[in-house]
Amino acid sequence: MSATLKPYLTAVRHTLTAAMCLDNFSSQVVERHNKPEVEVRSSKELLLTPVVISRNEKEKVLIETSVNSVRISISVKQADEIEKILCKKFMRFMMMRAENFIVLRRKPIEGYDISFLITNFHTEQMYKHKLVDFVIHFMEEIDKEISEMKLAVNARARIVAEEFLKRF
Amino acid sequence: MAKNTLSSAFRKIDVDQYCEDNYKEDEVDQVGPQGPDENEVKILIQKGKLIDALKLVLVNAPLGTKNQQIKDNALNLTLKVLFSIKTSQIEEALSSLDSDLLDVLMKYVYKGFENPSEGSSGHLLVWHEKIYNVGGVGCIIRVLSDTRRV
Repeated sequence: MSATLKPYLTAVRHTLTAAMCLDNFSSQVVERHNKPEVEVRSSKELLLTPVVISRNEKEKVLIETSVNSVRISISVKQADEIEKILCKKFMRFMMMRAENFIVLRRKPIEGYDISFLITNFHTEQMYKHKLVDFVIHFMEEIDKEISEMKLAVNARARIVAEEFLKRF
Repeated sequence: MAKNTLSSAFRKIDVDQYCEDNYKEDEVDQVGPQGPDENEVKILIQKGKLIDALKLVLVNAPLGTKNQQIKDNALNLTLKVLFSIKTSQIEEALSSLDSDLLDVLMKYVYKGFENPSEGSSGHLLVWHEKIYNVGGVGCIIRVLSDTRRV
């Protein structure tokens, strides 16, 4: 684990803990509607300052907060082409199953690889510190997962190539 | 109904914008410091009085103004001061700041994250952690909820 990972995750954890102060808030425009204000952006007074936490140029987290929802977008390190493809496919796999993850957004924000949308209903049903833990755990695992997959792909490619070239 | 129309453009009109209770932003520039004096800060940095330089840029942070140019200049200057303070000196620097200045400093740290350059984020992460140790969650909340951005 490199030196900057731990402070990076700590900073994200503290910011998320601060940002996840959500309250039930009905739409100001349509009666009997209740929408995540960070998505509909109906009024400027309901949105808080969005903040970015970056580890380097490629790895960063965008945290947008509003009165009843918080949106967390993560940009994952992609060093080369194969990591880019693996990341894209892996995120797609998860986002197709977004409802099983509950807080996952079906589409990432532009410029980021994956987004979470946490509303006041989630914080009411689940423990807030566990939600924060989940996001942090996700960020820890995703790097590991992608580098493991990269190794697996390379190993497999090597075996396939060996078998193929035996014929000649 | 006088006449049937196929056009549905009227559905796109945002009638809510004419509602009188809508939230309006304060139009006028709030009076306040118009950014730190660049030369003064540079002299302080050269003399090695980094903590004084830090205080100077934080006290004079242009929070109220809408002029992006002034804000950018102040941001660059503040980041320069932040990067010239060594990791071991951070705690000493923070102990001389009061809670308001800590909030301003936290705003600059978050702003600095937005344009990461070589090694800058690592240093800012250290700053973030140390400010958090002094200011706590409230410090971050005030950055999120304050409309006077840096």
